[in-house]
Amino acid sequence: MTFSKRGKVALVICAVLAVAAFCCWVFQLMNGLGVTGMNNSTSWGSYIMMFMFMVGLSAGGLIVASSASVFHIEKYERVAIPAIICSLVCICLAGAFVLIDLGGIARIWRMITGPNPMSPLVWDMCVITCYLVINIIDLRFLVTGNKRGVEILSRIALPTAILVHSVTAWIFGLQVSREGWHSAIMAPIFVASACDSGLALLLVSLIGLQKAKLFDVGDKLIANLAGLLATFVAVDAFFIGCELLTTAYAGTDMGSFVLGQMFGGATAPFFWFEMICGLLIPFCILVFAKNRKRKGIVLLSSILIICGVLCKRAWLLFTSFLMPNVYGAAGITLGTKTAQMDVTQMWTLMGTYAPTGVEIVIIIGALAAGFAIWMVLSKAFLPAYEPAVED
Amino acid sequence: MTRLAIAINQERCIGCHTCATACKMQNNVPDGMLWNRVLTEGSDVVDGAQGEYPNLSRSYLPVACQHCDNAACQRVCPTGATYKDDKGRIEIDYNKCIGCRMCMAACPYNARVFNWNEPARITGANYGDSRVPERHKGVMEKCTLCKERTDNGEEPMCVRCCPARARVYGDLDDPESKISKLLRQNNTRHLLEDMGTKPKVFYLN
Repeated sequence: MTFSKRGKVALVICAVLAVAAFCCWVFQLMNGLGVTGMNNSTSWGSYIMMFMFMVGLSAGGLIVASSASVFHIEKYERVAIPAIICSLVCICLAGAFVLIDLGGIARIWRMITGPNPMSPLVWDMCVITCYLVINIIDLRFLVTGNKRGVEILSRIALPTAILVHSVTAWIFGLQVSREGWHSAIMAPIFVASACDSGLALLLVSLIGLQKAKLFDVGDKLIANLAGLLATFVAVDAFFIGCELLTTAYAGTDMGSFVLGQMFGGATAPFFWFEMICGLLIPFCILVFAKNRKRKGIVLLSSILIICGVLCKRAWLLFTSFLMPNVYGAAGITLGTKTAQMDVTQMWTLMGTYAPTGVEIVIIIGALAAGFAIWMVLSKAFLPAYEPAVED
Repeated sequence: MTRLAIAINQERCIGCHTCATACKMQNNVPDGMLWNRVLTEGSDVVDGAQGEYPNLSRSYLPVACQHCDNAACQRVCPTGATYKDDKGRIEIDYNKCIGCRMCMAACPYNARVFNWNEPARITGANYGDSRVPERHKGVMEKCTLCKERTDNGEEPMCVRCCPARARVYGDLDDPESKISKLLRQNNTRHLLEDMGTKPKVFYLN
């Protein structure tokens, strides 16, 4: 396996970032999760946000790839290998982010020896493991050209891909305590945003591979996938609309508070970025067939959609931590290092959170490691380069 | 069966925070966090008032683990570290807690506190009841209903120390207990009743 000069430079940069992240993680293990911005008011932070985001990116790619086989959409079968590679890398990152987020990783074996079958986290562990195994077997079948194997496996892979994202949604959607999460439409919303962000990531990687002359699916297929992407974006927007209306209509105190924060409060930048740059603009671009033929425009729309879905993870997760259900002074005891050192900093009336440098370095480093693995896998498993024949 | 519970008479509560302090002392609760908090209801400042001058009111709401019969935290715990014991108390097995904080997201009452760092104590040493197990960084903790005391027939420390006698402790399944009689004779409410968690902490007001 040989990389071009630019490829080698990219790999080295990724490796440096990954090592930095690893050092930060060791630092976090030594000092506890107190080195992050999390506290007793906001018990989950950017790691869990990235976990949701990565599961989505992963499930989306595999849904498209296995649909190709299940529904006999032959033209999509060409993207199966790049889609599986994206999916595999993303699900590994998703798992990594959960492990990074654990405060007591030394006791993780308790998940195996005494799992509580009622816990959505246990379901998630099982489904993600299955999903990872399916990804690996599927990649093997695709590379060795085992068509029958791919066909059979795709019939399992498709429901598993949908399930993996539904279970992630249920971690949040089943919690009666959080107004912004507790909704039956949470799983469909997650699946929809998995489809749009996952397909957008696949398009970005396909355009990248084409540029790097590693793999060419042809401009026609990219335009076709971009059309599918527009549909996914519309479905995602519809589900979000349903959720917002249901929350708003009853006019409850907590519902109004949550929406107020999303429309003009702490999480408003994320919400409006997603609504405008992540849904409205890409949809308006991709809905026209003429725009879908321009690769630059498709690339831009895809990147906007990915960023939009990341923002959605942020507003979805954090808005529900802002207001304690039982409100009153002095509020919640934070339990952070600052709270330990200074009694006057011990309390908070409302949920509060800002990621620290450690969190940011770990996230960037993990993503860099993922990118490096993606490069290596793409190089190793993609078929030899041949320009696509356009009919 | 035994179902241990606490009733809090808000009419009697004077907002002195003795229960919070007694709990912290008894249970060796680290700096920067409390298992039991006394909130000034509907106010942004401690000891503030509700309403508009001159029509003001003030009330205090002591909040700790509600020891729910239908506990959201227990259901989501992936390792079974959070469990309901034979006396109806919600407890945490610190050896099983992997620090995922799922229970913290699930608890509607913000009753749980997490050891984000290695616990620090201004005394420089452990304090309180020596029977209370030590906790380290990366595990969840919360009110145990003073497990070590109530196992031996003693009252929880918050009940024992309340100078206004606002707190009553006892067994709901014993019709002759003080708490059962109190609940029969008075109107009580739960916190966040509509969430269906069926708490075993009752509020009289």
